[in-house]
Amino acid sequence: MNIELPPLVALLFFPGGLFLLFGGTMYEWADRKLVARFQNRIGPRWFQPVADVVKLLAKEEIVTDGVNPVLFHALPVVALVGSLTAALYVPMAGLAPSYSFTGDLVVTLYLLSLMTLSMGLAGANTIDRFSLLGATRALTQLFSYEAPFLLALLGPAIAANTWQISQVDAYARGHWWLVLVQPIGFLIALVGLMGKLELPPFDSPEAETEIVAGPMTEYSGRGWALFRIGRDVELLVGLTLMASFYLGGIANPAEFVLKTGGLLLVTAALQSLFCRLRIDQTVGLWWRIGILLALAQLFLLVFVR
Amino acid sequence: MDTEQGVRKKFVVPIGPQHPALKEPGHFEITVDGEIVTAATVRLGYVHRGIEKGVEQHNWAQAMYMLERICGICSHVHATAYALGVEALAGVQVPPRAQAIRVLVAELERVHSHLLWLGVAAHEGGFDTLFMYSWRDREMIMDVLEGLTGNRVNYSCNVLGGVKFDVDEKQADAIRKAIDYLEPRTHHYLKVVTTDETLIGRTRNVGTMTAAEAEKLGAVGPTARASGVPRDIRVDSPYAGYPAFPVRTITATAGDLEAKFIVRLQELFESYRVIREILDKLPPGDLSVRVKPKVPAGETVSRVEAPRGELLYYLKSTGGANPDRVKVRTPSLCNWGSVLATAPGHKLADVPMLIAGIDPCFSCNDRIVTIRRRDDAETWTWARLRQYGIEYYR
Repeated sequence: MNIELPPLVALLFFPGGLFLLFGGTMYEWADRKLVARFQNRIGPRWFQPVADVVKLLAKEEIVTDGVNPVLFHALPVVALVGSLTAALYVPMAGLAPSYSFTGDLVVTLYLLSLMTLSMGLAGANTIDRFSLLGATRALTQLFSYEAPFLLALLGPAIAANTWQISQVDAYARGHWWLVLVQPIGFLIALVGLMGKLELPPFDSPEAETEIVAGPMTEYSGRGWALFRIGRDVELLVGLTLMASFYLGGIANPAEFVLKTGGLLLVTAALQSLFCRLRIDQTVGLWWRIGILLALAQLFLLVFVR
Repeated sequence: MDTEQGVRKKFVVPIGPQHPALKEPGHFEITVDGEIVTAATVRLGYVHRGIEKGVEQHNWAQAMYMLERICGICSHVHATAYALGVEALAGVQVPPRAQAIRVLVAELERVHSHLLWLGVAAHEGGFDTLFMYSWRDREMIMDVLEGLTGNRVNYSCNVLGGVKFDVDEKQADAIRKAIDYLEPRTHHYLKVVTTDETLIGRTRNVGTMTAAEAEKLGAVGPTARASGVPRDIRVDSPYAGYPAFPVRTITATAGDLEAKFIVRLQELFESYRVIREILDKLPPGDLSVRVKPKVPAGETVSRVEAPRGELLYYLKSTGGANPDRVKVRTPSLCNWGSVLATAPGHKLADVPMLIAGIDPCFSCNDRIVTIRRRDDAETWTWARLRQYGIEYYR
């Protein structure tokens, strides 16, 4: 759908800004609720993630000893801004991307990585031992899934012969669903997205039973709230990107909800199916299997075209 | 981390006393090199409650209720161990029906304890789905125990000289129904822990302990049996109703975490079998015999098989209305060595599962030890010990 919105509205209210913040928390709720139902639990009420964020924003933020206070306060903002900006280049809510230029796919992927990078730095910024271990794990995990994830999203881009998200989306709408043509790429991108968001079974950077909350251990109040919203928005952006590339593009809001919702259902099922992977298992999985599959698909695409 | 002198500084990860992995306070100092554990130490005693001292101030009958509260998971075996000891001192014969009911409740308790452990161990490994499902099924047993005894946790089933309540046909049917439901579920869980790739990746060849090591470290219960040490008090020295309703010792040879899962789950089938057998062949007769309030002087050791392993009670009577000394040694205390010995060389991520692997019960094993020097030996009263505790934690 192509609606001309004033830039300020697009940036602050819809489909950027407030819509993203609210939509992100709603997707977090849907994710939590689905996982809860898969696990035979009731799950949270619909406003729980919003309530959590509001409560956290109102709470005191404790800046621990030994941190660089500028970084401590700046990193959550950078993480949130990264995901919010990334949302402007994807067909959010079924509308055409607010901003679009040649090669915006690469920029979007970089912006999405800012989140993990900020979390890693935030963990390394404190002197807490759990945070340090969590930061090491978060960055190790970043290096393991990032390359296959990038290659997996390049698949549709190569098929469409463009690195512009809106054009890949247009290509996807006009052809077979790419999930049927490039199933390997779809799988890698989906699992890569889970790794990016540190969802189970890739949650070893913040494994509660080992290192408390990993890099986030020392964050409370506002910083923690911003990181949380940032991750929610990233979930929304990631799902939109996946649906747009692999599930036949996003033409209107109804398709947006259905396709991203369907993807969320799959990720929720995957989250509840597995035991947490140790960090060495995660790295092994990506570098032994993930990258090889992604490369195989890439070569296949390059030769077939 | 290299310091300037070239000496490697230790990077110690503290687990506990307050940590999400621990349901009770204990303190572990895990020295790591990157992700690899190089050393592990434990400090216990955060929840010392002075129960041993406390029971000396109460009479023989009251003491049992206090001792039953040592453990919130296996309360019944504590009361049973104590009751068996007192009955041995008093020289009374408990009727067979009472002994059978004691075994019935003990086995139901084992079922609930093992299912609880399955959930906790899965949660430590980040497998929350298994955790939720096993705890849902555990509720069946909790309901049965509540229907049988009126309580979910401290069943208070024993009295000195027997048991408090009978099992009627309606209750027996409720138990049978619960067991019929749980048996296929347990088969399913056994299938999950032996075939789920991600879980196997976290349990197979993790924390492996050979039979010789288990012997040397003094491991007891399922921890020892997973290493192939056939040590089960129910078989080695049958007590209460176990001579009439024998159980089979379940062992595994691998000695790793997976073996601990398998041993505990297979023990459940043995428990189900015994529970059914008891319900079918419950001996007729009285429920209890009278035990005089003053127990003849003497000493005794009574041993029972708690869900976590051998539970040992030492009782001493001087012929009075109160116990002179009660010493409790819970199975968790025997198994700590196995955790600390197997942890080095593993990943930090394995440590919570290794700790959970012995099914630790921190509060149960916390005892106070005072070193008696030659001259300053003194006896504390319950009031003074209590005051000391209040002052210490102020």
